Amino acid sequence: MAQLQTRFFTDNKKYAVDNVPFSIPAASEISDLSNIINKLLEAKNEGHKYVEFDFLIKGQFLRMPLIKHMEQENISTEEVVEIEYVEKYIAPQPEECIVHDDWISSIEGTVEWILTGSYDKTSRIWSPEGKSLMTIGGHREVVKDVAWVKKDSPLCLLLTASMDQTILLWEWNVERNKVRALHCCRGHAESVESVAVDSTGTKFCSGSWDKMLKIWSAVPTNEEDEIEDSTNKPRKKQRTEQLGLTRTPIVTLSGHNDAIFSVLWSDTEEICSASWDHTIRVWDVETGNIKSTLTGNKAFNCISYSPLCKRLASGNSDRHIRLWDPRTKDGSLVLLSLTSHNNWVTSVKWSPTHEQQLISGSLDNVVKLWDTRSCKAPLYDLAAHEDKVLCVDWTEAGLLLSGGADNKLYSYKYSVTASNA
Amino acid sequence: MPPALADIRNTVGNIPLEWYEDFPHIGYDLDGKRIYKPLRSRDELDHFLDKMDDPDYWRTVQDKMTGQDVRLTDEQVALVQRLQKGQFGDASYDPYEPAVDFFSGSMMIHPVTNRPADKRSFIPSLIEKEKVSRMVHAIKMGWIQPRRPRDLTPQYYDLWAQEDPSAILGRHKMHVPAPKLALPGHAESYNPPPEYLLSEEERLAWEQQEPSERKLNFLPQQFRCLRAVPAYGRFIHERFERCLDLYLCPRQRKMRVNVDPEDLIPKLPKPRDLQPFPTVQSLVYQGHSDLVRCFSVSPSGHWLASGSDDHSVRLWEVNTGRCLKTIPVSGVVKSIAWNPNPAICLIAVAVAESVLLLNPGLGDLSATSSTDQLLSAFSPPEEPARQPVEWQEASAEEHGHGLRLRICHNKPVKQVAWHGRGDYLASVVAAAEHTQVLMHQLSRRRSQSPFRRSHGQVQCVAFHPSRPFLFVASQRSLRLYHLLRQELTKKLMPNCKWVSSLAVHPQGDNVICGSYDSKLIWFDLDLSTKPYKVLRHHKKALRAVAFHPRYPLFASGSDDGSVIVCHGMVYNDLLQNPLLVPVKVLKGHTMHRDLGVLDVSFHPTQPWLFSSGADGTLRLFT
Repeated sequence: MAQLQTRFFTDNKKYAVDNVPFSIPAASEISDLSNIINKLLEAKNEGHKYVEFDFLIKGQFLRMPLIKHMEQENISTEEVVEIEYVEKYIAPQPEECIVHDDWISSIEGTVEWILTGSYDKTSRIWSPEGKSLMTIGGHREVVKDVAWVKKDSPLCLLLTASMDQTILLWEWNVERNKVRALHCCRGHAESVESVAVDSTGTKFCSGSWDKMLKIWSAVPTNEEDEIEDSTNKPRKKQRTEQLGLTRTPIVTLSGHNDAIFSVLWSDTEEICSASWDHTIRVWDVETGNIKSTLTGNKAFNCISYSPLCKRLASGNSDRHIRLWDPRTKDGSLVLLSLTSHNNWVTSVKWSPTHEQQLISGSLDNVVKLWDTRSCKAPLYDLAAHEDKVLCVDWTEAGLLLSGGADNKLYSYKYSVTASNA
Repeated sequence: MPPALADIRNTVGNIPLEWYEDFPHIGYDLDGKRIYKPLRSRDELDHFLDKMDDPDYWRTVQDKMTGQDVRLTDEQVALVQRLQKGQFGDASYDPYEPAVDFFSGSMMIHPVTNRPADKRSFIPSLIEKEKVSRMVHAIKMGWIQPRRPRDLTPQYYDLWAQEDPSAILGRHKMHVPAPKLALPGHAESYNPPPEYLLSEEERLAWEQQEPSERKLNFLPQQFRCLRAVPAYGRFIHERFERCLDLYLCPRQRKMRVNVDPEDLIPKLPKPRDLQPFPTVQSLVYQGHSDLVRCFSVSPSGHWLASGSDDHSVRLWEVNTGRCLKTIPVSGVVKSIAWNPNPAICLIAVAVAESVLLLNPGLGDLSATSSTDQLLSAFSPPEEPARQPVEWQEASAEEHGHGLRLRICHNKPVKQVAWHGRGDYLASVVAAAEHTQVLMHQLSRRRSQSPFRRSHGQVQCVAFHPSRPFLFVASQRSLRLYHLLRQELTKKLMPNCKWVSSLAVHPQGDNVICGSYDSKLIWFDLDLSTKPYKVLRHHKKALRAVAFHPRYPLFASGSDDGSVIVCHGMVYNDLLQNPLLVPVKVLKGHTMHRDLGVLDVSFHPTQPWLFSSGADGTLRLFT
């Protein structure tokens, strides 16, 4: 049987082994390699307990027999192979299953609360244990996206965007558990698909089916903005229908040729928007210009940005998740494609703590946990949903959330070790 | 040779020993006495026994000088073996010792010899000087001449270089090989296998056949052995036939066209190079309980309206597959069409004997409200004109469902189609007379019947996307009418049994027709009234055809449950014909009551395809 010269190394001092080459069978798999490392560690110190390891060759996770992986990656078998090993990530543990009345269109979780938007025209606040704290109803149509503006004071601020073409800014009094609509943001002419709040919490942007990207102030005031639209409806009638004070956008950015499905702030003064016109555009908020355009060949459904690795992940209307560098000037180069889903990827979310991990939800009912070092196979499949997955989220407390068309919100506990790079 | 024992030294010298063969002795010893041959009483048996018993037999040799048997020692055996191998007799001799080259080419520090160099090595040779001076003298005197250049004119020449290749002498170039004789088979054998021998009836039949008709020109015969074969009776005859063959063989070369069948297939681009086109099923819109006969995508591509046999119209969100509204209607929905004008939010639905105009209340709020205003702003004229149909306002309850207007025909309505601006609406009625096609104007609520004569049963109609033309498909023909001049412009002949569906290219110069005899017919209006191409990819009747408004794609849905997507590139250059390449067969719909796909349509902006089927679902392929 063929043998390979390998050298093992790790960044974790606890599990370091001697830096000498080993000759191991070429067909060994992860479990065999893991056994070897454990044997070595046992020989070194007596009190070693068995630990499962994962292995990386040139920054790629090993997911098949060693020799097969090396053939695929075109690594020479003549030289000593450098294999990095890390402690295997523990599978996410299912925590709660929260049942809604209708499809869940969006989730945003914090450490203490989970905010969900639903197709029953309401949005709800839940505790992570699955207790319903608040039901916010006020939209005349399906709630498409939700976002927290302020989540750490007794008066929380949150946003709900709806198919009724408005975004409502709510104030939630945590102690008295009362919710109040402060502002009704009018201006979009079609269903608002996505809202995103900037890091300071003073502004937010929204993307809509009417191809417009609008930036609004998120600061509650007592004044009402004048609408200069030309609806012939009597003003009085509108006033009675509407919750909260009317607010108009600060800036409207137009440039997309089709519906905008996802917006986010990649920096304090930079917005990324993904659209069905096959482009991601990066906007400068100060000037309102397009900084760069990333062109794909499929319609974009969702994007997510990780400030840790400075990459955009996009879910498209095909089965791939693509990673982009938003800083390239008018480049349309896909850095990496993660392929394992069978249908459209409806939502992606980077880990807030780990620079290489993300989760994705797809129309094939599966939520997948990815590591960018393994682009062919995900780390874990979370196949709890019985219908389309529409939204996923990853909180800083290590909670994975996913909601879908089976009216259920699943949450998973996932303890991820912070990236060591 | 080993030295013989000292006392029997033979003194005869180096002579052939055969000379003593006839004597009892073999020579003389030092004393001049005869040396007698040892007694040779041993016969072959003894030799054999020796060979078997004596382990040293193999190394025993006879000394011919003394006649004694000598046993070779180990050293002698080794010597013999070395000599046999061609090695040196002395085992210690090394023939490959490194040679020490005394006079080598390399310069040594110390000279090998101390002899001084010869004088001749540094003084020019007198003999050579004399030779050279003699040659110089000969040249001066002209006795030695420089060598004459060789004559390069060829010895032979091309006899046929001047020949005209088409002349009769050029015939040798057109060599026609003699026809080959067929190789003999088993039947010609003198002892053929029994299956080649003719039975009695076969032989009779052979004899009764004309000689020219016979398959074999001889009778297979069996002989006991080759010796028993008689002289071949037909030899002269066959030689004569062979001569006939040779001299009657055609002397003219037949130009055979060697065509590779692969070359005859038209060069079509690979489907891979024609992307994007829909390839996989992405979404299934479930909710209808009966077959979905028709659907329509909103101009923005955000919504989908579907009409079904379960007496309902459903409105769907395209990207999630969510059913947002269900509008009950009073009968089977035969046809549905979304108003193509993005400022008007209206759906025309053909139900039973009426056309309903629905405002779904989806999308842009200002558009929906302005649509309602547009409809309510209508004031009836003082003298109502006689109309073939009746326009009715919806009741309050129906208004809540979104119904705004009802156009009551007296006959079942088969199809509705909007004009591109969204003000005119054409409907097809199942009537026998000329009033099969009706035109309605939304803003003035007027209807008229544009045709005076009927040309068979009208199947479907479609408006030209940019010019005032109306396509009317009857069972066997497709007519193009000019609406302003009110005349027939063109009559296209699809050559099929029964046209089922019709779609017009977004540029308006090309039309496709689906037919119930499973053909898809492409017409190029600039080219001819005959089909430009007929595609027979489906196995069963076509139900629907569609063009993509932006991408060069068209699709057809059929009763066999499949949708075929084709690339249909129309070039602006009038000289270049459209390029049609089938790119994908999409399957997904299950068969239900022998019906498969009932309607197909493309997304207005993305390269996506919707299809509705008899299984009560709509599917999105991306």
